[in-house]
Amino acid sequence: MNPESRLKRVLFAGHFAVTAECGPPKGADPDLVRKKGNLLKGYVDSVNVTDNQTGVVRLCSLAACALLREEGLDPVLQMVTRDRNRIALQSDVLGGSALGIRNLLCLSGDHQSFGNQADAKGVFDLDSIQFLRAVREMRDGRHILGGEELSRGPDLFIGAAENPFADPFFYRVLRLEKKTAAGAEFIQTQCIYNLPKFKEWMARVRERGLEKKVFILGGVTPLKSARMAEYMAKNVAGMDIPGEVLGRMKAVSPKQQRAEGLKICVETIQALRQIQGVRGVHIMAIEWEEAVPELVKEAGLWPRPEA
Amino acid sequence: MITAERKPLAEIKESIASYRKLLILGCGSCVAECASGGEKETALLASQLRMDARREGRSLEAKEMTLDRQCVYQFIDQLAAVIGDYDAVLSLGCGAGVQAVAEVFPRTHVIPALNTTFLGQTKQPGLWLENCRGCGDCKLDSFADICPVTRCSKGLFNGPCGGSKNEKCEVDPDTPCAWQLIVTRLEERGKLSNLEKVHPPARWSKKEGRGPRKIAREDQRT
Amino acid sequence: MNIKEDGLSHAFFFCQQLDSAQDLNRRSLEKELGLRIRFFPLPCSGRIESLHLLRALENGADKVYIITCPEGACRHQEGNTRAKKRAAFAQRLISEFGLEPDRLEFVEAPALPSPSIDRVARDLLAREIRIAPLPWAGKEKKVPKEISRKERRDDYRGEKAPRRDQREHRLL
Repeated sequence: MNPESRLKRVLFAGHFAVTAECGPPKGADPDLVRKKGNLLKGYVDSVNVTDNQTGVVRLCSLAACALLREEGLDPVLQMVTRDRNRIALQSDVLGGSALGIRNLLCLSGDHQSFGNQADAKGVFDLDSIQFLRAVREMRDGRHILGGEELSRGPDLFIGAAENPFADPFFYRVLRLEKKTAAGAEFIQTQCIYNLPKFKEWMARVRERGLEKKVFILGGVTPLKSARMAEYMAKNVAGMDIPGEVLGRMKAVSPKQQRAEGLKICVETIQALRQIQGVRGVHIMAIEWEEAVPELVKEAGLWPRPEA
Repeated sequence: MITAERKPLAEIKESIASYRKLLILGCGSCVAECASGGEKETALLASQLRMDARREGRSLEAKEMTLDRQCVYQFIDQLAAVIGDYDAVLSLGCGAGVQAVAEVFPRTHVIPALNTTFLGQTKQPGLWLENCRGCGDCKLDSFADICPVTRCSKGLFNGPCGGSKNEKCEVDPDTPCAWQLIVTRLEERGKLSNLEKVHPPARWSKKEGRGPRKIAREDQRT
Repeated sequence: MNIKEDGLSHAFFFCQQLDSAQDLNRRSLEKELGLRIRFFPLPCSGRIESLHLLRALENGADKVYIITCPEGACRHQEGNTRAKKRAAFAQRLISEFGLEPDRLEFVEAPALPSPSIDRVARDLLAREIRIAPLPWAGKEKKVPKEISRKERRDDYRGEKAPRRDQREHRLL
């Protein structure tokens, strides 16, 4: 039985898609992955598994995706170019497809200096756009870089990430266009707190007709506390948290901050549903996957459609 | 130029500990330009080591000499007349210089006093910045003369990444985002369309190829 | 004015602009202290190199003063700021192998018109916080002998520095 990408079907059917992120454990226990997967099952269309995010060693995305596949979920394999050269990247793409994984997110990855292996060599043999193109060629052209033919191409729905809030702002739309031209079929954005700025980005996206060429899913992350919000605003590259969001988090007592964070998140999701061209939401509830079912329900996105 | 920095004094001391007569050898080229191994720095290090030895009651004779270049035999040969007077040579040359001197005098202990760092330019007196990685396949023309291999922390050819903020790199707030610079300069030149095409992956074989690289020019050989 | 007799050797690097009659004014101290006091006038304090300061210590000075024109008054604009940085660098270099950084003391002369170099030096010596003699002072028999005025060399680059024509490594 050849599995299919549920994410692809949902998007092509015109539904508002819901994806969520699953962070693998810092250890070799497969049950921890299965547990998280089962928390999300039925509430999301697909589950992204991060790839040694921020350069911290975790159970690899490929294995975690295979485990989630076994549990009946539709995983999105995230692959960064920081840790592997083109030989390993193309090889893992074939392996992922062979294991029944049907979605791939091509990323450059956070610099290794952020993680717990700061002395590691950052590979970056390819960048995310070269990688996108290579995978597209593997799938549609059935050949690897350099032209040699594959006995069977990978079967993957290919995506990339984009950050509407990073500099230079004017160039971010051109970059999206470039990624689309290189082969991206869906995009998941960095988490959104600054809705006005995101709307501005979407307006420019629509100006170039890009929303018709690529499925854009807006990223959201529920804030757990005011401290978390401040930390992210200060330390996480490319994060844009406006003062009023920080203000809302600080205005409530610590006990109520979680609820407020969830409330803001739901409001953001509802706002995203109203923006023309946004075809879904990507919920990155870091170490808080239990919150996802509640968020999906509160946002009116449950049950998930038949597809 | 090639830049280098002097090793911590403690490390140098340990490596010369057993020697009584040292030749402190400077280089007048790259390391002089970046103020780490030129005549001046050689004299400073020698003075420090002599005073340190006196402080500890050790005998140490340290003489200074600076070659125009430590990486060319023509200059290294000048040492032949004097090298026999010393127990060891403490070299303030870059890694290339240290090795070349050691090759000419294989029985002499040649000790590096510097950590060789990068290829760079003098941005201001006292400030040197890396701007070339010797990839062997120069693409500066495609990137408005700003090297993405070197100056982008992730070596992206189709940047920027999502971490660029306030025109700075996510890795170091003092480092400008190379892609911000490239995009800005192309925009100023009216050449932003250069970025529409997907720049293909680098040919790292030009850098890593078959091990240590070499250049052989028959027309130049005697 | 009597100065403390502490048996230490001192070196004074100073900008010539501070005292146009320095050659004359310093003779009294030179007579009193012999070779235990050395004066090194500079065309501008900015000519000072960290190496000169280290050489001064190597040649026996227990304490070295670097005296510049007051801030903003350098005839060559930045000479005194440069001297300050080099003095600080030299302090770092000597503390690397365990010498007290305050063996090198950077002093800004009081606002012009400045007192004579004799006055400046005596004041500094008078208020000097006692510093130990160089750690190797007792271990060596180096005893400065009396020399005539003519034999005194103001060469602030240090006696051991080879002159240009003496350097062997230059290619013709």
